[in-house]
Amino acid sequence: MVSSVKTLGWTETVLRVDLSARKSWRDAIPRDLLHAYLGGRGLGVRFMRDHFRLNPFDAEIPLIFSVGPLCGTPAPTAARLTVVTRSPLTGTIYDCSAGGRFAWRLKGAGLDAVVVTGRSAVPVALVISPDGAEIVEVPQLWGRTVPDTVSALSGRGSVAAIGPAGEKGVLFANIMMGEGNSVGRGGLGAVMGAKNLKAVVASGDRQTGIADPQRFDVARQDVMRLFRASPIIFGELGISEYGTPALVDLMRQRRMVPTENFRRTVFEASGNYSGPAIRRDYNARKDGCYGCPIQCKKSTPEGEPLPEYETVSHFGALNGIASLASIVRSNTLCNELGLDTISAAATLSAWGEARGRFPTADEVPGLLRDTAMRVGEGELLALGSCRVAERLGRPELSMSVKGLELPAYDPRGAYGMALAYCTSNRGGCHLRAYPISHEILRKPVPTDRFSFSGKARIIAIAEDTNAAVDSLVACKFSFFGATLEEYAELLAATTGVDYSPQSLKEIGRRICLTERFYNCTNGFGMKDDLLPERFFAEPGSSGEGIEIPPVDRTRFAEELQKYYRIRGLTTEGTFDDPDFLLNQP
Amino acid sequence: MLGQIARFTNKLIADHSAHPREIAFAAQDDIIVADGNPELARLAGELLSRLSCLGMAVARPALPFADFLVARTPRDESHIVPRDTETRTFLHDIPFLRRGALGDDPAAKIARLLGNRKGIIVEGTGIVASGALTVEQAYINWSSIFHSAFVKYLQDVLHGGFLLPGEAEAFDAFRRGWLRPLTAEGLVFREGPLTDPGEILDEIAAVGRYTVERGLVDSFFGNISCKSGGVIYISQTAASLDALDGCIDPVPTDNSSTFGITASSELLAHRRIYEQSGASTILHGHPKFAVVMSMECAERNCTVTDCWKDCDRVRFLGDTPVVAGEIGAGGLAKRVPPVIAGPRKAVVYGHGVFTVGERGFGDAFRSMVEVENWCRDAYFRALEGKLAKG
Ligand code: SF4
Ligand SMILES: [Zn+2]
Repeated sequence: MVSSVKTLGWTETVLRVDLSARKSWRDAIPRDLLHAYLGGRGLGVRFMRDHFRLNPFDAEIPLIFSVGPLCGTPAPTAARLTVVTRSPLTGTIYDCSAGGRFAWRLKGAGLDAVVVTGRSAVPVALVISPDGAEIVEVPQLWGRTVPDTVSALSGRGSVAAIGPAGEKGVLFANIMMGEGNSVGRGGLGAVMGAKNLKAVVASGDRQTGIADPQRFDVARQDVMRLFRASPIIFGELGISEYGTPALVDLMRQRRMVPTENFRRTVFEASGNYSGPAIRRDYNARKDGCYGCPIQCKKSTPEGEPLPEYETVSHFGALNGIASLASIVRSNTLCNELGLDTISAAATLSAWGEARGRFPTADEVPGLLRDTAMRVGEGELLALGSCRVAERLGRPELSMSVKGLELPAYDPRGAYGMALAYCTSNRGGCHLRAYPISHEILRKPVPTDRFSFSGKARIIAIAEDTNAAVDSLVACKFSFFGATLEEYAELLAATTGVDYSPQSLKEIGRRICLTERFYNCTNGFGMKDDLLPERFFAEPGSSGEGIEIPPVDRTRFAEELQKYYRIRGLTTEGTFDDPDFLLNQP
Repeated sequence: MLGQIARFTNKLIADHSAHPREIAFAAQDDIIVADGNPELARLAGELLSRLSCLGMAVARPALPFADFLVARTPRDESHIVPRDTETRTFLHDIPFLRRGALGDDPAAKIARLLGNRKGIIVEGTGIVASGALTVEQAYINWSSIFHSAFVKYLQDVLHGGFLLPGEAEAFDAFRRGWLRPLTAEGLVFREGPLTDPGEILDEIAAVGRYTVERGLVDSFFGNISCKSGGVIYISQTAASLDALDGCIDPVPTDNSSTFGITASSELLAHRRIYEQSGASTILHGHPKFAVVMSMECAERNCTVTDCWKDCDRVRFLGDTPVVAGEIGAGGLAKRVPPVIAGPRKAVVYGHGVFTVGERGFGDAFRSMVEVENWCRDAYFRALEGKLAKG
């Protein structure tokens, strides 16, 4: 069944692991399923079809690691994987994409996906090589930080691990890749912890075959040319130079920086942690996902990962903290403990507003440790902003959608973003439709950030596009320059199967609707597609000729209805057809 | 949506690129709206219903070059490959459908091909282009194909002469009827040096409009800047030269802030040109004859295969230097600044023209007009020579 022949794009193989029974085996993945769902997010979501109703902490819930057909090829930004399961934070279906050598090593072990079910009685690591998989007991690693765990296991391959936060079931615990990339938001680390799975190690080195190397090379050069032509990617002020903190100054100028739990939208001290400030104070050097030419991540000369835009802004402005040193420390702590930085910072902020005082720079490290260990105040904070605010009797203070904390783009400053936070199948996330790309960064073309006109259609198309991108799996940042056109070429050249931008968007649509169907079956509907009341009631910080009024409730509701119509949903945002899934491949 | 459709229909009419009576756009939100020539509007709407995009432009170009290109292409080929940077960077190549291949359900055929690309040529119908996110994007893609087809046709005729019945007559009509004399006469420029930020923004917007109104460039491609004190005021990426109000970024020259991340992809080129030339203003556009003539290279036995990227010679069009270099971080920012300092103007291979002004934009604008007029004359001289030889 498992051939050693070089495959083209896909390996057509899944590793199934039952931790309760301590066994693992390889299965073939039907080719038509791969053609219809590609890999990554799409394949993972498809694999959840019979399991999406399970409680995320049920032993039988699958935790799925899946790579895509481009992984292992020199396609730019494609050394990535997706982790899929149901989120304990939001209750929605959940996927998260992360870059790193781990994805490449997993593919190199001859696998398109690993599906882990069951629960081990003792802490274990799953060690995967081209020849098989081993479930190794690692009680000595339980309680250890992510870097400690990674260094203990790195002799056996590339490592994806949880920290104490995942072990303790913190609802926004991450899975961390050895090189510092995180499988973030949504608490997938807690699902892994509940399985007593401390780490997954992969050590494959098989090549991914390419059906038409010449065609592939042309497409690859086209992508690289577009990267170079994009000011956002390789421009002198772009993300390759400054990382995503290049956005700090821009968001300040556009007056849409979530400040003090979204009470304001300008933070006067944000210049302290701008891209140039980080470069100056930390001597930042380029770093990034394995094999990526963009290298948007930054680290210190000693290799300590420096924070990304969302992290600096939320540990900064959102909590009213002006000290870059404090922000960098918070970022490092989250990485070590395995906490999601956005949700951690946003939860502290909601908690701060509820008790009448935001945490100081000095208090944050202790609070993060307590959160990861679930002691003291951390017992509460570990539940995420939604549950924290509810328990404190101030539910309106959680700045989240479907329980997922909003990232660092205030929806009052970009109406497509406002809508996309709500239609996102994994809750308040900026990356599903990524309207910031056109509303703020003018790519591929600009749209009016203060208008809802056309946004429902734009968001639906972008959700489909990004679902395909997440299934290839490529990085969203590629699309500040390239388009699905070039990636469809890369995919067709790799697999020998014809794909077009249109067919990829149709696949994306199938994935988005499947996710929505899972969510609706689990009780989600229009009532959950809603922004926190603050955004409809309070203005942002106007000034410098820019007005930041509250979001127009009526226009928002109209546009949401348009979105439902475009998606073929009922006015309640649900499905008319109970057999929707049966009609999908 | 109808407002957008009206706006871009008028742009296609104003820049003379499409037949005024054969333009249609469609857009879809939760419903599809289409407007313009009824038959083309129906087609645009049908295409949109089959594709995941928001906007669609279907229009017959005011010049028959695209159809000629299709007819001149060998029967077994299905796309053309213009050599300008627009195509090279964004379109890659331009697929077409021949008149005879449309069958009973042309919309289905067109949609299938268009599902792969930003735009295509449909022989006998025109250029069909989609916009994933906006009506403007459909217009931009339509214009890019018009521009690229124009450049390729002029090149092909220069090298291959006329091959089809009616071509010579149509070309003559283009030369005597469609082309307008290019001039800066009658335009008012502020003297400079420009120091007041409000005045700088106004002047940039006005000059951007001039370049389009005078037919010097297509609206979408190009960029413009003015340096004053420690700030470069530069048009934003993906901004139309004739609609720059609110689309100019003041970028500090010392890179102390990154909010200029949305500035033109040629920011680095502009910065270096200022450093090396001491100029106060820069104008960059893609006037078509300059683009065509920049690729007429007399070198024989040259070993370079990727001229756009790897040519390191400085050639000349009259007294204007021509260098190679791709967009953005791709190389023109390295090669243009050293050659522009002396002559105050330069052409980039297959791409366009940079000119600089000493105090205001007047001299930069006039200089670009001169370069394009020189290239226009040179083109027709060369073509006449070619046709005379037979
Ligand atoms: S652009 Fe950045 S996040 Fe994306 S793959 Fe490259 S290094 Fe990773
Ligand atoms: Zn240009």
